[in-house]
Amino acid sequence: MTHIPLSLYIHIPWCIRKCPYCDFNSHAASNGLPEKQYTQALLTNLSNELPHIWGRKLESIFIGGGTPSLFSAESIDELLCGIRALLPFRPNIEITLEANPGTFEQDKFRGFREAGINRLSMGIQSFNPEHLQALGRVHDREEALRAADIARTAGFDNFNLDLMFGLPQQTLEQAMQDLQQAIALNPTHLSWYQLTLEPNTLFYKSPPVLPDDDLVADMQLNGQHFIKRSCYAQYEVSAYARQGFECRHNRNYWEFGDYVAIGAGAHGKLTNPADGSITRYHNYRQPAEYMQQAMQGTARSGTERLAAADLGFEFMLNALRLRDGFPVALFTERTGLASDYIKAGLEQALQRGLLDVEGGYVRPTATGWQFLNRVIQLFLED
Amino acid sequence: MGEANKNIRNFSIIAHIDHGKSTLSDRFIQYCGGLEQREMEAQVLDSMDLERERGITIKAQSVSLDYKARNGEIYHLNFIDTPGHVDFSYEVSRSLSACDGALLVVDASQGVEAQSVANCYTAIDLNLEVVPVLNKIDLPAADPDRVCQEIEDIIGIDASDAIRVSAKSGIGIEDLLEQLVERIPPPKGDPDAPLKALIIDSWFDNYLGVVVLVRVIDGEIRKKMKIRFMSTGRDFQVERVGVYTPKTKDLDVLRAGEVGFMISGIKEIAAAKVGDTITDAQKPAMTPLEGFKEIQPRVFAGLFPIESDQYENLRDALSKLKLNDSALFYEPETSQALGFGFRCGFLGMLHMEIVQERLEREYNLDLISTAPTVIYEVVLTNGEKKFIHSPSELPPVNKLAEIREPIIVGTILVPQEYVGNVITLCIEKRGVQKNMQYMGNQVSLTFELPLAEVVMDFFDRLKSCSRGYASFDYAMNRFEAAPMVRVDVLVNGERVDALALMIHRDFAQSRGRQLVEKMKDLIPRQMYEVAIQAAIGSNIIARSTVKAMRKDVTAKCYGGDVSRKRKLLEKQKEGKKRMKQVGSVEIPQEAFLAVLKVSDK
Repeated sequence: MTHIPLSLYIHIPWCIRKCPYCDFNSHAASNGLPEKQYTQALLTNLSNELPHIWGRKLESIFIGGGTPSLFSAESIDELLCGIRALLPFRPNIEITLEANPGTFEQDKFRGFREAGINRLSMGIQSFNPEHLQALGRVHDREEALRAADIARTAGFDNFNLDLMFGLPQQTLEQAMQDLQQAIALNPTHLSWYQLTLEPNTLFYKSPPVLPDDDLVADMQLNGQHFIKRSCYAQYEVSAYARQGFECRHNRNYWEFGDYVAIGAGAHGKLTNPADGSITRYHNYRQPAEYMQQAMQGTARSGTERLAAADLGFEFMLNALRLRDGFPVALFTERTGLASDYIKAGLEQALQRGLLDVEGGYVRPTATGWQFLNRVIQLFLED
Repeated sequence: MGEANKNIRNFSIIAHIDHGKSTLSDRFIQYCGGLEQREMEAQVLDSMDLERERGITIKAQSVSLDYKARNGEIYHLNFIDTPGHVDFSYEVSRSLSACDGALLVVDASQGVEAQSVANCYTAIDLNLEVVPVLNKIDLPAADPDRVCQEIEDIIGIDASDAIRVSAKSGIGIEDLLEQLVERIPPPKGDPDAPLKALIIDSWFDNYLGVVVLVRVIDGEIRKKMKIRFMSTGRDFQVERVGVYTPKTKDLDVLRAGEVGFMISGIKEIAAAKVGDTITDAQKPAMTPLEGFKEIQPRVFAGLFPIESDQYENLRDALSKLKLNDSALFYEPETSQALGFGFRCGFLGMLHMEIVQERLEREYNLDLISTAPTVIYEVVLTNGEKKFIHSPSELPPVNKLAEIREPIIVGTILVPQEYVGNVITLCIEKRGVQKNMQYMGNQVSLTFELPLAEVVMDFFDRLKSCSRGYASFDYAMNRFEAAPMVRVDVLVNGERVDALALMIHRDFAQSRGRQLVEKMKDLIPRQMYEVAIQAAIGSNIIARSTVKAMRKDVTAKCYGGDVSRKRKLLEKQKEGKKRMKQVGSVEIPQEAFLAVLKVSDK
């Protein structure tokens, strides 16, 4: 079996409060977090996953949430030290931590940097006070603006800003103002994505008034032009980066690499080197239950071995999100399946002008790129 | 001449939906000990799930009960259930003609409704003794005096001694049975005359073949006897006769005046038509009973499977439904847009809905139904006449001399305060007022209306303009010349045959415009712009555009999202399967019925 890159995802499931649009596993933090206990659970969880990833080096680590920046620098340091003791890192490993404005100050960030975090991802979402309020964010415009300064001063040259568009009652001008403001802060990476009403969120149950589809499409078109002029290249549906600063961790998801996952409700995907079979699994969601289970070596609440039929589709679901698509050979390399599995879908997509095959790469055409869901559906089994 | 059994009472219950017919019949069965308590499944007589859900009786049934009266005598009561909807008025008249009397059951708070009135008039025309009964007498809103007055005003029968009951709590049930025995006459008829038995209903049983529900008028019907159906002249040998108590009970013979079932190796119900007369093949009666009519479907629509490979299944399902529904008509139809399917004929809109629902529910079919249309009689320039069941059958304009549309006579009963609304509605629907009569607080309106307009959305509109108080009944009257035109619908320039409509010329323009607007809302945005046009011949009368969808992309998909996103896309794809691909355009089921929704404002 050829080498399949391996990443580590760590989930910290607490926030100051839950945002109405968020469908991640996050819980409102009430009177103090069990940081020490949770860190121990994470490390025990990882040591129990070791048999599945024996001898492999980590390409990247992503500490996501929730709001991981609620944790102290000491806990993050302890966590990363513990991981280093368990798993070898590749040189120049990318280690990202998610941070929300209003949950950190200068010292804490310096501490994160010293602990080994070398990339920050900050959940700004908007700079507009009304939209921040509509989204239920805990920070205000000033805190959002200051966050970038704090990060840079703390030594983080490499940081991402998360920004959304298509917000409740948002105008085209407001969406563009948010983008201009974000780019003025000169991040290395921008995640700029459309607000989506996900099931199991407050917004899904009582939907806010969102701009209509045409307006949202205009926002995207204008925004993409502006981002491009500002020298960021779009490499995925919602991801834009300065040259050389693409998020390696996320790229690994989209290239159908492996990722071991620890933490409450975290999802992992691993290839079994012995037989090439691919497994998805997830951990217990409730923090208390997770900690208890993890300490007993049973953090996983479900494991599913992917059928060949699902594999082809799931590969496409991920890989076609990349603007440059994927080299044809990558399909077989990552799924272990012959390319016949995607032949029928591929032919249909080529015929309808949704995909291109050029220079050994399969990539969405301009139309395919706008209708990616339809392209991907061609690879669903009937 | 002999005499029929003096202790038999054949009766029916006339009631509006929800006025308590089913509950009352359950009470009778319970009171007369027809079933053990544990066997009483609520509303025994409505046996189809659909009937129970909608509270409507579709097939007539009967139950024979023995009642020991206060005078010590045992009376043999045959309760003949009747279908309860305007679509089935012929069946109602046949059920009623098997009876000697009827209980008119009226909700003591709601009062008389049009459906009861129409059925009551039918009963009176058939010389039945009509006994008024006030039900739900124990409800706080009950106003028996007002309702009695209403019965007298509207129906014109003496209601001073109307029997007051509550079927639900059992009040007055024994009094009612006593009155029933006393006031409803015993059957007339001659047990020694040649056999004449009326077919009240017939249905197909998987094990027994066709079961025929009969009322023996003269003579007797016995096992092994050779019988003849007078409308067809076909002979059969009787295998079994008996009654429902409501459990099946076999007998050797059914005599004059009795009601029961008969089984005689018949394979399809078309051979045992409702209203037909059964006689003795060896000693046939001279004349059949009066009132027999061949059932005519009035409303037609195309039914097409969404998945073309379901065509055979649809045919099987229709043939099975047909076994039990002689009013259902179907023949293969081919549509350029929808592929292979069937043109089906129904008694009315409710019948159509029921059939469609049963096909989807019991046979698990995904169907597209085209807009219902009525039959038109067309006269060609060469004088030839023919009936058309579908707009696509309309001959070319240059061969067409005249189009005649079916006209009905409708009776609407409505409280005074809504009369204005109802008249406005009827006129909008091209109605011509024939009569208006004040009856207490109620007004009875008679209108001649084109059936095509009634089929559209008349019931719903009537209900909403009268806050649900108006009730409606109709009967076919005649065909009458009308300036009808065919309006075609073009999707991206392609004529979609399944969307064509017959519309009165004066309304073609406005309906066409409403239709394309409605379709625009019902057709989801696609990758390309979709133009929807309405046209008469080559003349475009209206146009709307479904704007192109600009993008369809999942914003976020990280490591933990894969399973959920997969399910979402699977569901979306499943949803698309329920649409029909016409050319390059995906059209959802409901868009084919858009015309029924054009007047939703």
